[in-house]
Amino acid sequence: MKQVRQLLAIIMLSVASIILLSACGTNQESSGGKDITINILQGKVENNTQFKQIAAQYEKSHPHIKVVITSVGGGTDYLSTLKTRMSAGDEPTIFSVAGPAEVSQFRTKITDVSDTKAAKLALPGTLDAVKEGNKVLGLPFNLEGYGFVYNKKIFREAGIDAAKLTTYDKLLAAVKTLNAQKKQLGLKGVFSLPGQETWVMTNHLGNVFIAPDFNGNVKTAYTSKKLPFTREKEYKRMLDLENDYSAGNVMQTDYSQQVSQYFGLGQVAMIQQGDWIYQTVAQIDKKFAADGIGMIPIPVDGYAGKMPVGVPNYWAVNSTRPKKEQQAAKYFLDWLYTTAQGKKDVVDLLHFVPAYKGFSGMKMQDPLSEAVFQHTQTKQTTGWVFAGYPVSWEADNLGPDVQKYLSKVMSWNDLVTDAKQAWANLQSTK
Amino acid sequence: MLKTKSKAYWLFLAPALIGLLLVVIVPMLLGLFYSFTDWNGLFFTKSVGFSNYVAAFRDSGFLNAFWFTVKYAIVVIISVNVIGLGLAMLVTQRMKGANALRTIFFMPNLIGGLILGFIWQFIFVRVFAAIGTALHISALTGWLSNPQTGFWGLVILTIWQMSGYIMLIYIAYLEGIPQEILEAAEIDGTTPWQRFRYITFPMVAPAFTVSLFLTLSNSFKIYDQNLSLTNGGPYLSTQMLSMNIVRTAFTNNKLAYGEAKAIIFFLVVAAISLLQVYFSRKREAHLS
Repeated sequence: MKQVRQLLAIIMLSVASIILLSACGTNQESSGGKDITINILQGKVENNTQFKQIAAQYEKSHPHIKVVITSVGGGTDYLSTLKTRMSAGDEPTIFSVAGPAEVSQFRTKITDVSDTKAAKLALPGTLDAVKEGNKVLGLPFNLEGYGFVYNKKIFREAGIDAAKLTTYDKLLAAVKTLNAQKKQLGLKGVFSLPGQETWVMTNHLGNVFIAPDFNGNVKTAYTSKKLPFTREKEYKRMLDLENDYSAGNVMQTDYSQQVSQYFGLGQVAMIQQGDWIYQTVAQIDKKFAADGIGMIPIPVDGYAGKMPVGVPNYWAVNSTRPKKEQQAAKYFLDWLYTTAQGKKDVVDLLHFVPAYKGFSGMKMQDPLSEAVFQHTQTKQTTGWVFAGYPVSWEADNLGPDVQKYLSKVMSWNDLVTDAKQAWANLQSTK
Repeated sequence: MLKTKSKAYWLFLAPALIGLLLVVIVPMLLGLFYSFTDWNGLFFTKSVGFSNYVAAFRDSGFLNAFWFTVKYAIVVIISVNVIGLGLAMLVTQRMKGANALRTIFFMPNLIGGLILGFIWQFIFVRVFAAIGTALHISALTGWLSNPQTGFWGLVILTIWQMSGYIMLIYIAYLEGIPQEILEAAEIDGTTPWQRFRYITFPMVAPAFTVSLFLTLSNSFKIYDQNLSLTNGGPYLSTQMLSMNIVRTAFTNNKLAYGEAKAIIFFLVVAAISLLQVYFSRKREAHLS
């Protein structure tokens, strides 16, 4: 008995000392003569260096502010890191959230930013996902858009004008032309469909045909009890087209094969992707990426020439940090998106397509971003609703079902039934 | 048991105990507690009793992953041990290059699971397909793109990685067999098969206990190879238990539900492993 008591005493003592020691560690954090520290946690690792450059610049022009950027990569990693830091009390001042589902997860930690200049200048529709009555719970990072990224040289040789492919029938005719000349053009296929990446087929392609059900409003999708799925036939038609004329084994193709191998090496005429592939293509062939590629919207009946453009991430300001720090955070975001220097950094350093007014006349850094920018400037856009899909609906239902359909172990009708049923179930238990 | 339980004894034990307490026992008890709530990673609002556990047993994704893992574990345990023992017998023969072979067989074990997965993904997807198209063997194209080849892909990968390690354990026991017993048997006119069956086999029984335990627990807990080789695809058909749990907790953001699944997983693996060790122990031969 005595030993047990001694053991307990030792354990307790050690635990206590560890807690004390770690507490000292956090308290000693020195601010280095700065009055306010803005801690930023965000998930775009590819922009880490640029964000740090911007932070250093900002610190120079604002000597009382310290800006600390922490970038954590990959969707899941970022969220679990954010959660851990929140529950451990080491909370960032600014963090990124990806849509209504994440906003509601962290709702108690997010303050209203409707009083910022940036919120007033945000392009129409870009705040839909983060609005709560009059409150605005996030500021858009940037805009991204997707469609068919095509190889200009191959299109030219086949005599196809990409700008005219505004309907399914015209696209089909062009695909048939390309397919007939496969040998002369040195192609392995017209498309490359990455069957391993469900998000390409469900989030992106699916969105094009599901968005009209919800008027392209992500919030409407997020709160909808039912999935009308009125355009499922059109969805199937487009998926079949990409699948039938795809190079290689679809179910074995992943993102890197699609972008680097098939498209980057000119083995296919076009792929369904977005402006984010620019860097990857540029790594293979700089000249090809800069002059040889373009992007057109996926044709949808009644939405000719409109490109699905959306906000992948939002900045949220932490409501549990001191008022002064929150104020500084808002000021920083305003600086980034509304001042001349900030705007220049957003476009030239981060290569972001801006989600705010006041950028007209600026030139994007690459042809794909430029395509997205032009569509937003001329208001030829539709929304992204996939961030409003019920949590796990894509991962557990639509994603695997589309793969089953492509592997011919599930019929399209069963897919539609399952998609509708699962949507209703998930929304009713939310 | 040690009898001298002085202060120094506990002092020396303390670091290990504290480590165990903080990293294993406390999180586990917390996890057990959270599995009965609606915890979302930040806070919980109420206790939900056993409903997370009930839901797990009705979750077809979880049950599929469970069966897939069981099937996989059975195939892996048998083949890794057979191949491991075979390799061990091979490199304990008096032959040239035995040491080099040991090193080569053990090498895959030094490569991390994630990297191994990507290496084999390349082999299955590119190399197999290239050979298949060149020789017109359609069975070789499209590996990892259907549930059957995905399953065998995972099995082959694990065998390649684990056999060398298990081989080491068998070597240790094979070399511990007293040579005089084998020599005596040889003089008595036994065949090599008889010597293997009646002398070697019972003498390495303790190695079976260890190796079976290691392969069993490893094959149940496998995650990184699964992630990098197939990522559960196509259509979640090659998703193993650990991956299902991680996805439930972090992708679908149902942390409490994930905890409940993890507790079930822990109980099952612990029960099977303990049973296995108990029965293997009983079969070990004792020289005295």
